[in-house]
Amino acid sequence: METAINRQRVLLQHLQPPSSSSNDPSMLSASICAAGDSAAYQRSSCFGDDVVVVAAYRTPLCKSKRGGFKDTYPEDLLAAVLKALLDKTKLNPNEVGDIVVGTVLAPGSQRANECRMAAFYAGFPETVPVRTVNRQCSSGLQAVADVAASIKAGFYDIGIGAGLESMTANSVAWEGSINPKVNTLQKAQDCLLPMGITSENVAHRYGVTRKEQDQAAVESHRRAAAATASGKFKDEIIPVTTKIVDPKTGEEKQVTISIDDGIRPETSLSGLAKLKPVFKKDGSTTAGNSSQVSDGAGAVLLIRRDVATQKGFPILGVFRSFAAVGVDPSVMGVGPAVAIPAAVKSAGLQIEDIDLFELNEAFASQFVYCCKKLELDPAKVNVNGGAIALGHPLGATGARCVGTLLNEMKRRGKDCRFGVVTMCIGSGMGAAAVFERGDGVDELRNARKIQSQNLLSKDVR
Amino acid sequence: MPVFKTPFNGYAVRFSPFYEGRLLVATSQNFGILGNGRLHVLDIDPASGAIAEIRSFETADGIYDCAWSESHDSLAIAAVADGSVKLWDASLPPTANPVRSLHEHSREVHSTDWNPVRRDSFLTASWDDSVKLWTLDRPSSVRTFREHSYCVYAATWSPRHADVFASASGDRTARVWDVRDPRSTLVLPAHDHEILSCDWNKYDECSLATASVDKSVRVWDVRVPRAPVANLAGHGYAVRKVKFSPHRESILLSCSYDMTVCMWDYRAEDALIARYDHHTEFVVGVDMSVLVEGLLASTGWDELVYVWQHGTDPRAMP
Repeated sequence: METAINRQRVLLQHLQPPSSSSNDPSMLSASICAAGDSAAYQRSSCFGDDVVVVAAYRTPLCKSKRGGFKDTYPEDLLAAVLKALLDKTKLNPNEVGDIVVGTVLAPGSQRANECRMAAFYAGFPETVPVRTVNRQCSSGLQAVADVAASIKAGFYDIGIGAGLESMTANSVAWEGSINPKVNTLQKAQDCLLPMGITSENVAHRYGVTRKEQDQAAVESHRRAAAATASGKFKDEIIPVTTKIVDPKTGEEKQVTISIDDGIRPETSLSGLAKLKPVFKKDGSTTAGNSSQVSDGAGAVLLIRRDVATQKGFPILGVFRSFAAVGVDPSVMGVGPAVAIPAAVKSAGLQIEDIDLFELNEAFASQFVYCCKKLELDPAKVNVNGGAIALGHPLGATGARCVGTLLNEMKRRGKDCRFGVVTMCIGSGMGAAAVFERGDGVDELRNARKIQSQNLLSKDVR
Repeated sequence: MPVFKTPFNGYAVRFSPFYEGRLLVATSQNFGILGNGRLHVLDIDPASGAIAEIRSFETADGIYDCAWSESHDSLAIAAVADGSVKLWDASLPPTANPVRSLHEHSREVHSTDWNPVRRDSFLTASWDDSVKLWTLDRPSSVRTFREHSYCVYAATWSPRHADVFASASGDRTARVWDVRDPRSTLVLPAHDHEILSCDWNKYDECSLATASVDKSVRVWDVRVPRAPVANLAGHGYAVRKVKFSPHRESILLSCSYDMTVCMWDYRAEDALIARYDHHTEFVVGVDMSVLVEGLLASTGWDELVYVWQHGTDPRAMP
């Protein structure tokens, strides 16, 4: 043991910074590393200036035009989650630096206004600003990343990244005429492809079979049904009290929606096999193996670590990295296969280090392709189902996935340290973000108990 | 370029002087503080570029440095932290090894170097403040050089003179020795902080480089020891190892606790030619291939060995 201490002393001498050290030799000292010996080290939290997620909630996701929110105004969905964030965390709304909402289909200015109004309904004062962001299907995640970036930049310490989509109120549409110049450039032209066609392209180009796609859909429903049955979503879902109009009688009824209504536990391979391809006669993309058209909202509260600690907020997760990438628009679904490695690399990790993935199931074709391409373990991907079962309210999905991921990581415990949220993006892009579980570096609970302090790695006996 | 993951923390890497793609890597468990050591003999497959392990040898304590024999293509020395110096024959299985275990140093052996001119002897430098000279045919050391007043971190043979070597010590001096003389021929107070490494220029017999805890690398003309010929600043922490290029007179390679490997041209105004930040922990070992110009290797406490061509990204996969 004495040898070890002497060795440490010699090596620590090498690290004494020349100029200042001569009068203060105590500046550097050995400390216990909370990470496992082979784990990637936490490199940014020593000054408490990394960005942490304190809470993440969402509304239930409901089928558009037929589901629970068919008669609910979009801003009411957003207001519900924003209000829940305040109520559940007891956060002082005056301290929020910005609310960024990812939203896709609604007209830009109108939706920006609706979001501002939602903040008022939720109880935010006029002094808290609101803005929207649109990166198509990853808008919710982009909102979270934008808030994290702003906190890192020092614009503010507390921010909310949210997402909102009512596909009942707004549908996919093109306004005005299409510029004929588009015929001169293939890539530009490909941006106009319906998403279903890009899914067919992925299936065709990368050889994803109809059976594989249907299997993925069955699994998504099975997992989502199991998660709902066991109450896993209760931690993240905010029940929304709203009205629903009976389409026949026109009778208005007050209801409280608290579960996702798109999940079909009875989904089977034989049932899905009967469905006809929607986008191409001999294609493989059906209504059963595509994401559902839904309404919903989600919100994520992000705070700089030292502020969160000072205010006594629990740390649910740490925002580690984000990457958005571009891919061929005609096979936009491959986005995650490019975005995941980029985000994981910038977090200083390897894909094997990731314990859990929320990979948005826009279409089973692209979901299956991305998992195969990156050799992801199916037991780590969408463990509580995905958009095929739950629904894909475009702008809200990113924020929804952050909550689902972090809550599952919390349940799984210390062995689940890093998670990734990722999705493909219409017009040929992909986005991914890496999160780390909040207590991974705060306490030493994942380390073997140290009997006596020897300033060495925990593996030393 | 290829990457190899070692089970322990990397401490030193050396290209074989006989085979283009062969490497020797010294590693130590628990950052060399406590635990075992392992010496890896690695081969780079010329077709795929992948690194494969040919053999590995275990020691009871960490290995801080290693060197290939200049006379036998399979013979290697390991400087072991328990004070022993072990000779390994890579052509023999681990059970027939080590072929020699020499135990004279009273503390950690930190560096070893095989005489490249006479090819019959090697040096070891130890934290017991001494440098020892050994030959293959004797069971004990031929000479012991005691002058330094703190850990000796490196002893390096001159590539031109069969009897001349330099040593670098934590007593803030580098010394030049002739093995025929009992005392050092030159004491060079090269830095105001510990000196962790030194190396001779392969083309200029009077040119010596030193690397220090003061974050700098200095190049000296041993005939004019009053001031350095060049002072290379750019590392953010102590410089752990410095090597002169076997191919270009004015090129040096260094690695540092700042987790980077830097290449320098000490004659140029902007001396820093390249900075490689592929490691995620202290970089402790570097080497330049004698047989392939521009082929570099590094290892560090992140348990990775990288081999790459200068100018390419070490992390890029083949």
